[in-house]
Amino acid sequence: MDRIQIPATPRSPEVDFDFTAGRFRLSGESYPEDAAAFFGPLLQSLRTHLAASGSDPIVFEVALVYFNSSSAKALMNLFMRLEDAAGDGRRVTIRWLHAEGDETIAEAGEDFASDFSHARFDLVETSQTGD
Amino acid sequence: MTPDPAAEVALPVIGSPARKRSLRGGGPLSGDDFLELAGFTDASSSSPGTMRPGALRGSARGRDLDSLAHTLFLRIYPVIAIVVLATQVGIAWVNYNDSLRLYTERAHLLVTLTAQAIARPDWSERPDVYTTQVQALTLDPAFRFVRAWNAEGGLVMSIGEMPVRRSIELIRASAAITLAGQAKPVGSLTLGLSTESLRANAEKQALLAVGASLVLMLAFVLTLHANVRKHVLAPLKRLLLAMREVEHKRWSTVAFDGAIRASNEIDVISSAFNRMVEGLRAGDEAKQLLAELELAHAKLAEANRQVMESIGYARRIQTSVLPDRMALASAGLDVAVLWEPLHQVGGDYFWLERLGDVSLILVADCTGHGVPGAFITLIVATALDRVLHERGLRSPAEILAALDEMVRVQLRQDGRGSDSDDGLDCGLCIWDPEAGRLTFAGAGLSLTSVTDTGVTRIRGAKRGLGYPRHGSERFSVGNVTLDVTPGDTFYLMTDGITDQMGMPGTQRRLLGHRGVADILLRTRKEELGLQIETLEAELAAYRGAETRRDDMTLVAFRPTQRV
Repeated sequence: MDRIQIPATPRSPEVDFDFTAGRFRLSGESYPEDAAAFFGPLLQSLRTHLAASGSDPIVFEVALVYFNSSSAKALMNLFMRLEDAAGDGRRVTIRWLHAEGDETIAEAGEDFASDFSHARFDLVETSQTGD
Repeated sequence: MTPDPAAEVALPVIGSPARKRSLRGGGPLSGDDFLELAGFTDASSSSPGTMRPGALRGSARGRDLDSLAHTLFLRIYPVIAIVVLATQVGIAWVNYNDSLRLYTERAHLLVTLTAQAIARPDWSERPDVYTTQVQALTLDPAFRFVRAWNAEGGLVMSIGEMPVRRSIELIRASAAITLAGQAKPVGSLTLGLSTESLRANAEKQALLAVGASLVLMLAFVLTLHANVRKHVLAPLKRLLLAMREVEHKRWSTVAFDGAIRASNEIDVISSAFNRMVEGLRAGDEAKQLLAELELAHAKLAEANRQVMESIGYARRIQTSVLPDRMALASAGLDVAVLWEPLHQVGGDYFWLERLGDVSLILVADCTGHGVPGAFITLIVATALDRVLHERGLRSPAEILAALDEMVRVQLRQDGRGSDSDDGLDCGLCIWDPEAGRLTFAGAGLSLTSVTDTGVTRIRGAKRGLGYPRHGSERFSVGNVTLDVTPGDTFYLMTDGITDQMGMPGTQRRLLGHRGVADILLRTRKEELGLQIETLEAELAAYRGAETRRDDMTLVAFRPTQRV
């Protein structure tokens, strides 16, 4: 599947889904007017990839500094597919990045982490400038 | 075409006999006629999109291009004609004089030689001496007459006719017949030669000169005319036509093909003209685009004004659905509210109500903001009213569960097929002043308390109310009951309060619950209304240049007395 790269806008995150390498990344902020419209195609392509690509390992990195509740719901949907894939025996790692001292994002990560039992969920604190 | 009915204003037709076609005046039609023939008339200049009549029109129309040719011909022709004629006449005159001098010399020579040849003392008596000699003179082609006189003046011999009067066509030469040693001549001889051939020559030359001049003139005029037409007039006419086009905002440029080769100057002018046309075209297009843009902007502004008016009206409705902020004043509670939707109306909702002995404080954050969020708040408001007054529920946990069920029914999220993926976070407290006890239950929303011992955050259930769910899964959360000490302050807030984007250090990050709690703790001694104002100011300070991300609602309440 072709790599999906979408540059960030003030309201939507930068997207980099490298299906061949099994690396997925969302970064920036996410509060699009219509979260379903933004995340729908991404969810669809992830599902297609998971169905088609056997058991190649997947690393899904999230480095959001803000997301609204609709985006949280969309993330939940993405994570559910990953957890299901992990349940089917695929090696799935979710890297949840948050800035040092950003307890809001850290807490959200912890909340998401509790939903995973098969996939590996890493909470990663970043201290450098940037995301 | 000029609407002049006068008959003598002949319609300009090519080859019209009314046009004078002299050698110099022939050739191209005048500028006006040409343009009219080409279909460009000025009569309907009021048609839309045309320029006001201006300087360009005058230059493009009023001038007769032929005047340039006329001027050239009229000024140069006489000068050259006079010079050529004068030169030729001068040459003819010099030639004539030379020939005349030669003739005269010849006549003298002949007559002198003959006189010497016949000079004898008795020459007049001896025809054998002079007849042959004198007759020989008639061999000269210009010979007219000869007369010989003896010493006494008697005519000895005469050949030819001597004119009585002098004539310019005749050269006379006389010689005395003298003998060596005698002073007195023994006779005289007069010869007349005709200069008719000379005159004929001179006339021929003069005619030749005039003819040559005329031929030269003709050649000059034709060449000049052809060149001026080809290199000047035709290109200028093209330029004029293009100018007329441009005047009517038809952006035509000038290009010269093989038949017309503009002179360098006109070529330069044409290039400049083309650049100007391109500039005008670009400017005109920009102007049109700008006009369209302004129109679109005006439409947008109008649409925006209507939407804003509509939303302003919606805000009045939404604020009238919200409770009176003093509703719990008589229940022994200090209450301060910060309700600030991101866009006039929003998905944040709060409710304050005395229910008999107890008071209810509720804060909800519905999905979305703006108008969609506001719709959900109305559903929540209606559902809450029914839960409280039809079903009479007083337990926060039960109220949340009931709200969840009603919202999902309302939005057909209970398996009856609906597009709605909406819901709400909600936190609510029941304050029982009698018991000095506060009961809290939350769904995605927490209760923050600031007491002497510090800040505590009591988190509700992780998931919110509403949203489609699998099967008959029900919302379930427990109550948290707190014993309240006077002075304890409680806060229910939506995530719009804590989700303030800012740059506290080197990284952009959200303020978060801890950041808000720090502010509340720092200002805990302030009167509630003032504290909320301080909080709002500090949130703005934290955001700096960042915009708000969400609706903000915070309800602060502080029991004032223990009943």
